[in-house]
Amino acid sequence: MDGFLASRAVSDLLVGLHFGVVIGLVALSLVLIWRATHILNFAQGAMAAFSAYLGMSLLSYNVGYWWCAIASVFAGLVFGGITERVLIRRLYGKPEINPIVVMVGFLALLEAIATAVWGASGRAVPLPFSFVDWQLNSQTGQTIAISPEGVYQIVAALVVTILIVVLFRYTNLGLQLRAAAVAPEVSRLLGVRVSRMLTLGWILSSGVGAVAAVIVASNFGPGLTPTVMDAPFAIAFIAAAVGGLESPWGALLAGVAFGIMQQFVTDYLNNSDYVFLIALGVLVVVLMIRPQGVFSKSVSRRV
Amino acid sequence: MNTFAGFLRRLSLLARAILKVVLAVVAPLAGFLRRLLAGFLRRLSVLARPILKVMLVVVTPLAGFLRRLLAGLLRRLSVVERAILRVVLVVLTPLANFRRHHPVLARGILTVVFVAVSLFATYFFDPITNYNLAAGAAMSIVIVGLSFLTGFSGQVSLGNGAFMGVGCYVAAIWANHHATTPMIGVLALATAAGGAVGLLIGLPATRLRGPYLAGMTIAFAVAFPSVLDLFSSWTNGGTALQLPQLLSPPGWIVSLFSKSTGSLTPNNMWLADVAIIVAGVAFFFMANLFQSRTGRAMRLVRENEVAAELAGVSLARARVLAFMVAAAYAGLGGGLTTLVSGSVAPSNFQLNLSITILAVLVIGGIGTLSGALIGGMVYAYSTTWINQIVSHTNLDPTGSVATSLNGIIFGALLIIVMLVAPLGIAGSLRLFIAKGLARRS
Repeated sequence: MDGFLASRAVSDLLVGLHFGVVIGLVALSLVLIWRATHILNFAQGAMAAFSAYLGMSLLSYNVGYWWCAIASVFAGLVFGGITERVLIRRLYGKPEINPIVVMVGFLALLEAIATAVWGASGRAVPLPFSFVDWQLNSQTGQTIAISPEGVYQIVAALVVTILIVVLFRYTNLGLQLRAAAVAPEVSRLLGVRVSRMLTLGWILSSGVGAVAAVIVASNFGPGLTPTVMDAPFAIAFIAAAVGGLESPWGALLAGVAFGIMQQFVTDYLNNSDYVFLIALGVLVVVLMIRPQGVFSKSVSRRV
Repeated sequence: MNTFAGFLRRLSLLARAILKVVLAVVAPLAGFLRRLLAGFLRRLSVLARPILKVMLVVVTPLAGFLRRLLAGLLRRLSVVERAILRVVLVVLTPLANFRRHHPVLARGILTVVFVAVSLFATYFFDPITNYNLAAGAAMSIVIVGLSFLTGFSGQVSLGNGAFMGVGCYVAAIWANHHATTPMIGVLALATAAGGAVGLLIGLPATRLRGPYLAGMTIAFAVAFPSVLDLFSSWTNGGTALQLPQLLSPPGWIVSLFSKSTGSLTPNNMWLADVAIIVAGVAFFFMANLFQSRTGRAMRLVRENEVAAELAGVSLARARVLAFMVAAAYAGLGGGLTTLVSGSVAPSNFQLNLSITILAVLVIGGIGTLSGALIGGMVYAYSTTWINQIVSHTNLDPTGSVATSLNGIIFGALLIIVMLVAPLGIAGSLRLFIAKGLARRS
């Protein structure tokens, strides 16, 4: 049993799971915005990294890690709301290309500002839990490829996802959010404050992104850098597109699957450069077969 | 069950409380920022209006004056002079007719004239201007390709920096292995390579709608440095790949000019000339494509897919073709960039490049040839301008602020141009002139 748990495949699976939940979180945040406003937020990664910077800059004032993490997530929530109110509001009803261009500009702007303010080199972020793998057997010294930190990250991602799903599915507010996204006119007639719901969608999504950025910052070697979320964002977009941009669970599952794939590819092919190529290949194949994504139920297009 | 329901109720209360707090923070802050942005935009348009007004104030009397002058002259013209004018008209009318009946030939002649004037000008420019001109001409090829894709088929690609990188590396690798290949061969190869990769990435484009395609190409742009790393035996890994020899004019041209200029290479004149000629050819083809049956079909695809399909346009073919053309143009521009700069490095082809290309396209004006030219020149001179800003404000040139200035300026310009004048410089000018003409008549 111990031998099996310590085997290469199981280790890869566990490490991949631990990467994957972060990718899944970013994918989830993309899905939230897509469902609420039908805008693909290219600045999602940059916004998340920016929020994490805002919170983690408190570390310099000897504030504890957990307070900084909470501050980061709060900054993410506020940042998302402000972005929607100031920038995105002007883009509703414009041609499809306008929001794309504006969000790409926002991505470049945020990363450049983060570089200007905090520098391009990383900002070290402490680990809240031990990163040392658990020992299976104190005699043989065999370890299982998961640590308290890994468990914390997986649990945190799961809790956030469950909270989001519960909020959307079982609360009155969630019903209003869904209604505002699907049928804004009818919802407005029925008394839902649609514009506030759109803002809320951005607030929630940006908060989820900030959680992911806080986790990534502890994971990543140099710590927090302005472009730290670029690669997770790119993979997360692919995962969200594969899972279907409409489905939160699909996004999370696809994110986890891609994380595991990433670890297996890195380990067995001994070269992490293949990860993106394989991910792009998977996306191409999936989109050829099921353009709406694996987990999306219906595909409807207004003519 | 009850406890679960209670838990849910408490959870939703908690969530609502948190969201209330967040909203309470967001609303005033957002209001303030929105007012700030709105005020800024208003001031910007207020600033732009007087400039336009001044232009009108200057241009209108001038035009009136010229017309009166011409009228007076005409009145005073003797019969002989009137005959001369008639001869001029006799020449001009066929020219207009010629343009109507042989648009391709007319465009060709116009291109040749434009290129010839530019070539003549490079003779007098200093080396820095010539180098910028060469880089700008190469970049404008990339931009006009993307302009075709975005303006005509309505798709957005954020991976054109990567396609450009394909062209750059193919040209550099080929030139390193087969140093004797003529320049045209290297450029053709770079174009073909860009088009082939574009076809590969663009095939799913038949199925993808706007944001999906943009997301996929952005993923390709992010992945491109690691692709280069994958072929490190060819691409020299993380270090720059040098061209074996710099672009130099063939002997007969040198001997043709040697009496007057000594040599063509020292002041970068040859670089600029080659780039201008290649760009002229590329723009000539693109101008024809813009007005061709295919171009019209693509505009229809952008405006109304259903109508296009009804009219017998194959959506899939139009989309893939547009994507491939854009990628091939990016490859050609990349190959030319390699020849001009003499070396390529993977650090040049990060996501920033694709974003900058999109930015200069939007600034210049999507879907126009002149917009692409403006965009190319903005790109070529942006480094010079930013260096000037840095030196004027006494910033540390290697500090984090100075190095991120490029991103801040282009990012902000992308947002502002898209919100204020989504047509860009060329499109806005055209609209302004059209409006002015409409008011006159």
